[in-house]
Amino acid sequence: MRKKALLAVFTAGAIAGGLLSTKAFAQVEGELSPEEEIRLVQEFNRMLAEGINPGEIWYEVGKEAIKKYNLDKCDLGLGPGVFKGAAAQLPRYFPDAKKVMDLETRVGWCLQQHAGMTQEQVLNFVRQCWGKTGNCVSEYDGIIMYLTMESNGQKINVNLRDPNVKRMYDIGKQIYYARLGPWDFNCATCHAGKQEVRIRATKLWSMDRPGEVGSAVSIFPKYLVRWGLPMTMHYRYSECMRQMRWPEFIPHSDLGVALSTYLYGSANGTEIKAPGIGR
Amino acid sequence: MKKVLILAGISALLTGAVVEAQQRKSQPQRQQAIKQEEVMQVLKSSFSSDPRFTWKIQQDEAQRICSQYPSREQMPAQAIQRVIQLSQAEIRYPQWGIYMGDWKEGKKLVDSPRGGRFASYGFSDRPTDRGGNCYACHLIEKGVPGGTMGPNLYRYGERWGITKENLNSPETVEKIKAVYNIIYNSWSAFPCSSMPRFGYHGSLSPEDVANIVAYLLHPESPVNK
Repeated sequence: MRKKALLAVFTAGAIAGGLLSTKAFAQVEGELSPEEEIRLVQEFNRMLAEGINPGEIWYEVGKEAIKKYNLDKCDLGLGPGVFKGAAAQLPRYFPDAKKVMDLETRVGWCLQQHAGMTQEQVLNFVRQCWGKTGNCVSEYDGIIMYLTMESNGQKINVNLRDPNVKRMYDIGKQIYYARLGPWDFNCATCHAGKQEVRIRATKLWSMDRPGEVGSAVSIFPKYLVRWGLPMTMHYRYSECMRQMRWPEFIPHSDLGVALSTYLYGSANGTEIKAPGIGR
Repeated sequence: MKKVLILAGISALLTGAVVEAQQRKSQPQRQQAIKQEEVMQVLKSSFSSDPRFTWKIQQDEAQRICSQYPSREQMPAQAIQRVIQLSQAEIRYPQWGIYMGDWKEGKKLVDSPRGGRFASYGFSDRPTDRGGNCYACHLIEKGVPGGTMGPNLYRYGERWGITKENLNSPETVEKIKAVYNIIYNSWSAFPCSSMPRFGYHGSLSPEDVANIVAYLLHPESPVNK
């Protein structure tokens, strides 16, 4: 019953999205008209009130895609094919790859090992819905959604006593505070400080206020009503860096892993509740 | 009764001492600090290697200093002095000297959210627009939604005491210069502030900055109405 209701909402959303996406890159340039903005906010509030999250559709997509791409052999740290609770203990060090990896980077690695993709193909697979609105359903987003939702209810538990993980955590922390690029931003420009501030209408979470980093990262991938698709963590990093006028971010790169280690490591103890929903 | 209390007190002291000793013992061995080069290496390997973008991740000295401290309150005086010194040396003025520009042009630059931003994924290095996206962080005109990260700029010119009568006085020119400096290179007045150094990086030309100054300070601008 619930699935059916979700599907109905999703179809309606896809149609609305189709109408919206005639304006290509509407969301990217922030060109939504005030009327569209108001309609989306109302729809978002309605979904929240009814407890509907279309992001859950991607769970089913991901379940199929895992079989299709042989990812049931993928080892997320608890053994091949063990996905319950696996996302909660990532990032961690993987001896087979000799690297610290977060969930998305590990999935990329598994796609190369078990689905025969090249690195280039993996990157295109990751970015197929980036910058698109409406009815773009990507198998990659599905896989990440499925793997994260398998850890719902578990507490984030990044092992910071592992020296490799700790090293990545420290690098991530330094990057968080690195002033860089033609507009001098760092992550802390927006996401630090004791006092709550807004950019336009958006309230910013802060690393310096207890609990906020946890509530920010524990709901990813997060369904965005205005885009009609879920946003994974590496897509979020990429969007932040584009807004910061930094160069183009490569998903699954060490920068992503370092930031994940710092953010999830700082969020240790927070319960995972994916998918989140946002305006 | 007293004995019990004394015993409890002694045992508390003892446990306190033991816990402290354990804490000291369990403190991890001092980890080797992460070197700046390691961080830069991670950054360099994680961005598009397009040579047109590499200049964006070259940290200058001021950025390097600011990266070391979470906030200005934690900066030593010497570091603050150095950033101010570097920033003041980098301010350029319009060809005709300090002046109040055209507030209508300034308003366009203040409004644009796309300044310095690039077309899309796989973008070109050409910014799609000029502008400062000032409303993201500031409240400027009454009734227009803005952010609260930067200070509120309602009636900014009025607050500086600029009126039609004293518009061309030497005092006003000094005030215009102070605001110009903040917009052109905010770190010259507020070291390591969140505000980008628009003029220093060339996002805004000296003339653009003069126009924005006019938008903020001119008695006829909607900011001061």
